[in-house]
Amino acid sequence: MIVPLLVAIPIITIFFSFFDTRSEYLTLLKNTFLLEYISNSFFILVGVLFLTFIFGVTSAYFVSFYNFTGVNFFKWALILSFAVPGYIYAYSLTAFFENYGTAFSILTFLFGDSEYNQYIPKFDGLIGSIFSISFSLFGYVYVLTRASFLYQSHNLIEVGKNLGFSTKRSFFKIILPSARPAIVAGLSLVAMEAVSDFGTVSFFSISTLTTAIYNSWISFDDLSTANQLSFMLLFFILILFIIENYSRKSAKYHQPSRGFKSIPKIELKGKKSALAFTFCSMLFFCSFLFPVFQMSYWTIKFPKYFQDIDLWSLNFNTLLLVFLSSVCLIVFSFLSNYGNRVSKSKLLNYLSAFSISGYAIPGVILAVAFITFISWLSDTFTSAFGFASFKPLFIGSVIGLVLAYFVRFFSLSFNGIRSGYLKINQSIDDSAYLLGYSKFKTFTRIHVPYLKSSVFLVGVLIAIEIIKELPITLILRPFNFETFATKAYSYAAQDLLEAAAFPSLCLIMWASLFILFASRYILSDK
Amino acid sequence: MKKLVLSILGLLFISTSVMAQEVNIFSARHYDSDVQLYKKFTAKTGIKVNIVSGKDKALQKRIKEEGKDCKGDLYITADAGRLGAFQSQGMFQKGASSAGIKKVVPANFRSAYWTGIAKRARVIYYNPKTVNPSWNMTYEDLADPKYKGRVVIRQSNNVYNQSLVASLIKNNGAKNTETWAKGLVSNFARKAKGNDRAQILAVAAGEADWAVANTYYIALMLSGKKGPEQQAAAKKVKPFFPNQDGRGTHMNISGGGILKHAPNKANAIKLLEFLLTPEAQKHIVNNTFEYSMIDGVEPNKLISQFGLGFKQDLKTKVSSYGKLQAKALKIMTEAGWN
Repeated sequence: MIVPLLVAIPIITIFFSFFDTRSEYLTLLKNTFLLEYISNSFFILVGVLFLTFIFGVTSAYFVSFYNFTGVNFFKWALILSFAVPGYIYAYSLTAFFENYGTAFSILTFLFGDSEYNQYIPKFDGLIGSIFSISFSLFGYVYVLTRASFLYQSHNLIEVGKNLGFSTKRSFFKIILPSARPAIVAGLSLVAMEAVSDFGTVSFFSISTLTTAIYNSWISFDDLSTANQLSFMLLFFILILFIIENYSRKSAKYHQPSRGFKSIPKIELKGKKSALAFTFCSMLFFCSFLFPVFQMSYWTIKFPKYFQDIDLWSLNFNTLLLVFLSSVCLIVFSFLSNYGNRVSKSKLLNYLSAFSISGYAIPGVILAVAFITFISWLSDTFTSAFGFASFKPLFIGSVIGLVLAYFVRFFSLSFNGIRSGYLKINQSIDDSAYLLGYSKFKTFTRIHVPYLKSSVFLVGVLIAIEIIKELPITLILRPFNFETFATKAYSYAAQDLLEAAAFPSLCLIMWASLFILFASRYILSDK
Repeated sequence: MKKLVLSILGLLFISTSVMAQEVNIFSARHYDSDVQLYKKFTAKTGIKVNIVSGKDKALQKRIKEEGKDCKGDLYITADAGRLGAFQSQGMFQKGASSAGIKKVVPANFRSAYWTGIAKRARVIYYNPKTVNPSWNMTYEDLADPKYKGRVVIRQSNNVYNQSLVASLIKNNGAKNTETWAKGLVSNFARKAKGNDRAQILAVAAGEADWAVANTYYIALMLSGKKGPEQQAAAKKVKPFFPNQDGRGTHMNISGGGILKHAPNKANAIKLLEFLLTPEAQKHIVNNTFEYSMIDGVEPNKLISQFGLGFKQDLKTKVSSYGKLQAKALKIMTEAGWN
């Protein structure tokens, strides 16, 4: 009971205003930029959905159905894009394409001095945001779509052949529609992250609805405006999925219940093989190698900044947060899933469903909600019962950080473990009881071993998210506490992206390591 | 093992190490050189300096919500308007006007609640190959239709712009500033975007003839800290100090104030006083390329080459920016300044 309530804190805080002062912010906004903010959010959402769809589905299609040069490499290399957070992608784009940036240096090096700036395309603002967010998120669509292709592929391609369909026709008429639930699931994750992005858009100084929520809350203490805008944000996503749902009509989707043949992939030759290879390598290059090269280039070009960094404490802090948070998250997700399974209570189910929405709220808003809530709770207790204030315990402490991450990532961890649980048939529990196992013994002897791989996967996903996490860490951290993400941000904030390169690179490396550890599970599991 | 467990527990439950002598800073300035400076302070006085840095408004929110439990002693940021606004919310206590501070900081750059620790000038940059400003050119002139499509400046949500426009409101009145803002917006070479350095680069690359940006950005580029290309680009652009015939060039500050519930107020004052010593000021001007807050410390060569004798706007009190920033933002946004 407590866990879901805890996780619902930000939502409760957002919907029940503690101080209901209205400022003129909404009026000002309406008269000026509200439309622009909405259209920015809208274009980012649509642009990102479009690009991640193209990138994710095409690459999943090539990798799942065909054999071509490098296919086994691309299969896992494409998920490395998860290691690059949108804001670091944004640093790289700016570094490369800005006036007198890296592209300019390369052209100068190759062709001598000239005025290249006017010929170099500028990836900044809205376009830059859309590209940065898309490359850092398309992995969701890729992983989920690929998993669904694997389950269905063989039979469907054969069906297509039997019907005399061309490859193209099979793809659009059979394969794509059958993977639709997976694609939609991937896109919905992308959509939530895209509209709640703050780091990338604020780096490109693009104001979106999230910016407006942040401003109305933080600068104007105007919670009711923040509420209205948040509703608008959710409304956006909702509309998209209603449209999707509607267009789906009464189509039904089934997963094959048991075994499917392993798929003999179709061998690609000549032009077609080159096309698949080019697409996948371009995608791998743009999503992963490009930011890594840019950051490495800077680290080497400006070795001075490299020395200014206290590597030991950065590693320690980052890993401490990863360790504590993943242990807490996994233990509690386990318990609440187990509770759901044993009690079969509807209420608990609803509460869990409610609590997972932490993911849809922008991290920066969640952090502010967390502080506001703790402060309100502490003040209430102090005035009602004469308790000592417990704010210092939760604001500006590692515990507070872990708790806030908990709220943020509970959905990820809860659902990850749940999907593992769903695979354990209820009859297994019943057999265990018949054999005289206690509930506890069933849990430790049967559930835990069964779920090992889900737990491992969830732990790694949490680790990657926490390594990349910026806004919550920035505002809630203790004194003298830096992670790779905050360090990179702090250099970027003093306009020294060159110095931000090394911590960014470390961040990407840590996340990549975790991804490689988990790649087997990410790619085989759903 | 026991030790390790205890130390991790310590880390978990205690947000700051309890030392006999310390001072806690919330800082919206991210410079590494500030940290080096604090280390010098610790070496001198034995007082440990603890820092949380972050985005200005988020830090303010945290300080406000922490209330009496806020361990922060000093709040440091890079804009007078922000200090003023935070002061008007009652978040500072008096103390930043110790006798030592009053003696060295001109009255224009401090209040009873906070003091400037470095000065910054927001100036006009131009491309000497294409244009040549007359000696008495002003910020006001940038709205002149003859500069149509030739001016770049960053967005209206930027606090340096808000302070600049606040000073225009203070001197010319709201009505005239509205007209000015509309004129300026119609002179934009592109939609406002990028940071101050991006504006200088735009002039270097020929996208515009005029840019508005703070002085230390060009010094950062000229210093080579951003590589030879940026250095070369910076050489194509010249800064110009406007309003020399009138009130002088718009000045802003980096500054700090003592927080309302500061547990180590005396140490905070000591730190502020240290930051205003010639030694610390030299460190600041040579690392961040700002102007010294006190007399007798010259700016870094990269800045002083552009002239030291320019007239600074000492008439407009920097403490007035805070009150007028909201108004400034309103005027800018209504003029279509994104």
